[in-house]
Amino acid sequence: MVEAASAESPRLVIGVIGDDIHIVGNRIMHLALEESGCRVFNLRTRNRPEHFVQAALEVNAHAVFVSSLNGEGEHWCADFRRPFAALGLGHVLLYVGGNVVVGSRPEPEVVSLFKSYGFDRVYHQRPDIGAAIIDLFEDLKHGASHP
Amino acid sequence: MARPTPEARLRGIERQREQVLSHPLARGLRTDEVARHLAGLPARRFPSIRYAERERGMPLLQPRGGTPIFEEQLRLTRMLSDAGADFVPLTIDSCTRHNQYDTASQLLRRSEEEGKAYLNGYPLVCHGHELTRQLYTGLDKPVSLRHGTPDARLLVELAIGSGIAEIEGGGLCYSLPYSEGFPVDRALLYWQYVDRVCALYSTPERPIHRESFGPLSATLVPPVIAIVIELVELLLAAEQGVLSFAVSFGQTGSFIQDVATAQVMRKLARELLDEHGFAAMQVRLVYHQWMGQFPMQRERAAALIAGSAMVAGVIDADKVVVKTVDEALGVPRPEVNAEAVDSVRYVLRTFGTPAGVDSPAIQIEAALIESEVRSVMQAIFGLSGDAFWESVYRAFQMGWIDLPFSPHADNANKLVTMRDANRSIRIVEPGAVPIRAQDLVAERAMLATRTDGEQKTYRRMLADIALMV
Repeated sequence: MVEAASAESPRLVIGVIGDDIHIVGNRIMHLALEESGCRVFNLRTRNRPEHFVQAALEVNAHAVFVSSLNGEGEHWCADFRRPFAALGLGHVLLYVGGNVVVGSRPEPEVVSLFKSYGFDRVYHQRPDIGAAIIDLFEDLKHGASHP
Repeated sequence: MARPTPEARLRGIERQREQVLSHPLARGLRTDEVARHLAGLPARRFPSIRYAERERGMPLLQPRGGTPIFEEQLRLTRMLSDAGADFVPLTIDSCTRHNQYDTASQLLRRSEEEGKAYLNGYPLVCHGHELTRQLYTGLDKPVSLRHGTPDARLLVELAIGSGIAEIEGGGLCYSLPYSEGFPVDRALLYWQYVDRVCALYSTPERPIHRESFGPLSATLVPPVIAIVIELVELLLAAEQGVLSFAVSFGQTGSFIQDVATAQVMRKLARELLDEHGFAAMQVRLVYHQWMGQFPMQRERAAALIAGSAMVAGVIDADKVVVKTVDEALGVPRPEVNAEAVDSVRYVLRTFGTPAGVDSPAIQIEAALIESEVRSVMQAIFGLSGDAFWESVYRAFQMGWIDLPFSPHADNANKLVTMRDANRSIRIVEPGAVPIRAQDLVAERAMLATRTDGEQKTYRRMLADIALMV
């Protein structure tokens, strides 16, 4: 059952970055986050970094979930936090997940690369959305790790 | 009423062609020179010739593969060919698929400078046809263009110019699963151009072969939708004069549904071609190994690939498109791709193929699918419009053709599917898809065997999607 989202519900911007058209995870995430009581603003596929920044500003988002399934994430996510900070959105939680780089590379390397881009959490090749939702509600209590 | 007819052939294509070929990246391609190049290729570069030599029960094998740097693609091509691939793939990067040649060029340059792939395929338009020809010097097997491009006019001109004689795609199968906003009517028209160009370069002995992409979104697609889209694209290609075509579908996850889908697809493809005056067209059946989420563990992935190879043998697919043990981990390395070809060949050789596997359950499934497909096809044929493609477009607009998990903004998304206790994909809500009431009753009765109703919806859907993980 979908829990009713209220004015206090976390507001989330989600979407797939780059010229990536993988929609399935995006659909499921949308459904899962709504079922967990979040208000979801779904940018769907083929987004540039500025689309996420603009949407976060527009809806006063608590968190942004960026997906990359084809590995273009590495190219598009570089310095992802900077434009958020420039608009006074430094407090917004930034998450990234999917197959975020092309080819097979050690997970710790990938995680530290994306943390250096300003993401709070990195889910490289972790199919279970449930874990990210638990992390989200935990992080919402404490705020972003990149103030 | 608009039924497919040979009268629907595109007229005045020359002008549009001049325009397409005036693009700087066409690099002055001349169609007469391309025709001469094709005439000089070994005969086995043409799929229909390779298909004619196929042994019964032994599907031809095609791996996947595309990488940005020319030398790497050359190495991949040779490695796959040496590993025994019957068809050599050329997978195109996603920037080129969206006609973003500038971005593709930038990322190609960066890949070359850093010796690392920043594109997920081979940017054929950036490399050009003259260089791409050199990938295939001395090769005597067909090359297959794999992409996902709604407007593939320039790409296909350059692909055929490179000596590639198999072109995958179609107006629906390459826009609904791949594009968010490309207008579907334009995609249909652009693919008529592609079909016509393929026909213009074809001779009866050496046709340029077309293939449609039946796995579509590869996520809970019910057989009726896959088969209808395949039949529509087959007929649209026939209208433009294409002489050789393959319909395809992706492993459903249910053995029974796979066998039934193959039976119905083959039967209705031939029947509709003959009925509409296209008896000369050759039609093949291609099976894609599991296109959904793959297990991360290599042992499980290998088991899935082996099991799926068995199904390909049982349905006697003309060709099987193989997966690799690294599928869940991103773009596979060439070595892993070569191993995949070898292991699928091993399964097909070792087990042989029982001819004509059938059972009451398969017959029931096939009868249901056939009835649904006939209903939808009759409904499309009955739509108004001057040409068949217009009826197809109208059917899409009205949600009669509705693809689950399509990213396309104009897709109806009213059709809801779920797996029954036997893992077959069932229609829960047909949306506007015009199937008969009694068929819907049968679908729902089969679904009633499922027992996890109290789970969250997303968990049930995840379970269905992650069936093979």
